[in-house]
Amino acid sequence: MNLEADVVVIGGGMAGLVAGIRATEEGMKTVLLRKGQSATAYSSGAIDVIGYLPGGTMPLGSPVEGLQGIASMFPLHPYGLLGFTDAEPDTVSKTIVEKVRTAVSWLKATLLSSNIPLFGDIDSNLDAVTVLGTVKPTCMIQETMWPGSLMLDADSVALFAGVRGFPAFNPRMAAQVFLEHQISNRLPPRKVGHHVLDMAPFGNNYNISSIEIARYLDTEDNLSVLAKKLKKHVERIGATHIALPPVLGFNRARENQLALQDLTGAYAFELLSFPPSVPGLRLQRGLETAFVKAGGTLLVGHHAKMDSLKSNIVKEITAVGPKRNLKISTKAAVLATGKFIGGGITGTENGIRESVFDLMTVSESFRIATSTTPQKLTNTIALSHIGHPLFGSGLSIDPQFRPITGEEVHAAKNLYAAGSVLAGYNYPAEKSGLGVAIVTGYMASRNAVDYVKGVSA
Amino acid sequence: MSEEEAYQTVLATLKEEGIYPYTEDEMQVVKSIERCINCGLCIQHCPVVAAVGLDRFSGPRSIAVELSRSPPEYWTTADVVYLCTGCGTCREVCPKDVDIPEIVNLIRARIFKHRPDLVPKQLHTADAIIVEHGLAFVPWEDPEEKTESRNMRLERLGLRYIPDQVVKGADVLFYPGCQAEERAQEVKESAKIILDHFKVKFTLLEEVNCCGLPATLLGDDETALELALKLKRKVKDLGVKMLVTTCAGCTSNLAHIAERDAWGIPVYHMLEYLVEEIGIAKLSSAFKQSTEEEPLRVTLHDPCHLIKHTSRITMDYAGQILSLIPDVEVTQSFAHDSCCGGGGLVSYHAGDVARAVMKENIAAIEETGATRVVTPCPLCTAQLEDNLFRQGSSVEVDDMTVFIAQRLPQEG
Repeated sequence: MNLEADVVVIGGGMAGLVAGIRATEEGMKTVLLRKGQSATAYSSGAIDVIGYLPGGTMPLGSPVEGLQGIASMFPLHPYGLLGFTDAEPDTVSKTIVEKVRTAVSWLKATLLSSNIPLFGDIDSNLDAVTVLGTVKPTCMIQETMWPGSLMLDADSVALFAGVRGFPAFNPRMAAQVFLEHQISNRLPPRKVGHHVLDMAPFGNNYNISSIEIARYLDTEDNLSVLAKKLKKHVERIGATHIALPPVLGFNRARENQLALQDLTGAYAFELLSFPPSVPGLRLQRGLETAFVKAGGTLLVGHHAKMDSLKSNIVKEITAVGPKRNLKISTKAAVLATGKFIGGGITGTENGIRESVFDLMTVSESFRIATSTTPQKLTNTIALSHIGHPLFGSGLSIDPQFRPITGEEVHAAKNLYAAGSVLAGYNYPAEKSGLGVAIVTGYMASRNAVDYVKGVSA
Repeated sequence: MSEEEAYQTVLATLKEEGIYPYTEDEMQVVKSIERCINCGLCIQHCPVVAAVGLDRFSGPRSIAVELSRSPPEYWTTADVVYLCTGCGTCREVCPKDVDIPEIVNLIRARIFKHRPDLVPKQLHTADAIIVEHGLAFVPWEDPEEKTESRNMRLERLGLRYIPDQVVKGADVLFYPGCQAEERAQEVKESAKIILDHFKVKFTLLEEVNCCGLPATLLGDDETALELALKLKRKVKDLGVKMLVTTCAGCTSNLAHIAERDAWGIPVYHMLEYLVEEIGIAKLSSAFKQSTEEEPLRVTLHDPCHLIKHTSRITMDYAGQILSLIPDVEVTQSFAHDSCCGGGGLVSYHAGDVARAVMKENIAAIEETGATRVVTPCPLCTAQLEDNLFRQGSSVEVDDMTVFIAQRLPQEG
């Protein structure tokens, strides 16, 4: 079985889908392989761009501030690489910020057309509330997750509403943690209530998962049942805001949010939750819809197989499905296979390896890590602001986003890489995961497209 | 006591306690569970969980990490493990490639072997039929009645009859599978029409036997292996270049056993054969002009055994072929790739679960506004037909092979 493509994207998380959609929009015949669900589908759905500088302890006020810091101090950070251009050195910082802004604005527009409006931009980090009642700085969240005026309006009152039998959210504890945090920071609200609703999507009120509630709320009737129950408690405590776990539905989350406001008189929003969460899945589906709508070929359930690179050009990639192997001839490839969850990078007792092309891997400090055991790249303290260098390991790339070899030349002239398969940034510590995925996916795709157009011309 | 003796002594006590070590092959599947990071994505995507809730069916993760290590009595496991429809969604969404459908088969095989009393009795009945007849269904007692049923189906669908032929050294062996051989005979006839239309040198089997998939699914590995080997001998005798089938389950299972038992020939679904061997160019000029005034509004249903057990590309092919047929308008249902509930033999003993799984498909099909569902699998066709009928829906269902054959010019 054979397919032909201009660009093959390996990996279907944020980076891969951004690269795929962009390439398709540029008129490329694009095939995207996705093996399992990505770390994006698994995420809370909040889109971090940069929350802390590498090694930093103070949260950044805005991603722009962080990008400027990276521009001057961390040139090899994936964001830093955006500044390698022919332009004057003093424009580096501006170039980086503009490139990130372009990619992020594009993503917002793309997701909006998939009915997933995003809130926030790179000029400020915003505060999102989690199911634990803690507040997390992030760059963008889905509109349904924006707490509105809750933390700004001095008279706001929040109702934390959970669902009986849904173990991932304890409204009482969340309300308490949240209130203590706000009081100690002298911020509203000053009054918080909590309640556990009886909803029983499958007739029982125990052992319920978020997905079950989300599916249940995807119909209008069920939502009005929820609204009726909420209204009583909203009125009881005079709530202006309702904090719900992220279960407002798959297809009609935004409609449901607006409907709840209409029916209860209070502003309802979703909290950020643990993986796997419904907003992460919404993000994944929204991106996949956009890719298919743009005309891309999405090949789910297939992983890429390659013998290690023999020449410096990728001409054919084998997509391995459950019982079929497809040979895809291509003009360029984007590797966006993720890190440890996605499986793009694996760490074993033999070292840290790249799983498709067996490319050279490096540690966070750009030392060759092909035979470094993962343990060597961890800290003795489990949780610290430095994080674990292990998460900064991956592929080293040239300014074109092409993975490089030990000889410091690109492994193949038409092979680009994006997302967490890259080294040089520690996403759990910096809070930069999806942001880097978006921007590198966008740029790797642009370079791949330019290459294909150059070859074809 | 020597080390070897000690080992044997311990091994004997294991048997006494009903503990049976995994074989080498089984170990590979079991070891895939070691990669599980307990993320729970599979639970979120499982159509059975979505249909009946976690309380009734504890989900793929539970099967993989808990039930695969259940105590040898299996009595807590059996309730859950027979409700899996084997659709393969969990394996497809798993970021770590845990082979949950195979784990289900493996557990069912162990229950079948060591605790047959826990196997739902309807599955024992099904097994008895497979063992006795080498087919998933009791064959027609009277061959004349079978012929009559076939002729009625052909007449209703406006299809011509092409006599069965068994020839050695043909290019293609057409294998209908149990459903198309014994029940949905129009599918088998349609496949013959298609092959004949494209002047393919094809043959049938002298006597069809089941590919063994139902036996595997209910845990009777011995029978499954026996059937597979029997089929291999028949295929080898005919000396064909490739095998073509119209059944989704047969496609994935035959592809598996052909590789495992070194048949040395490729196995295709009819869709794959048409696109890859006949080619789009030939296909595009094959279809006759429609005589209908309005375009037919069609929606596709993707059989799990094609998309999640063979390759998703197969349904791209289905779309490509439909796009070549004049006056057919395809609308995608949002549940096009969701299990029809007919898999894993669940409908044999837990009809309520199978119907609940199907409910989402029915709603999605109705929403498309299509008047016809087309699916390249006779089993999905039967399951969809049955449930749409129960719902009082006017939507009709066609096996895709029949749908194609009906739109080829009637020759000779």
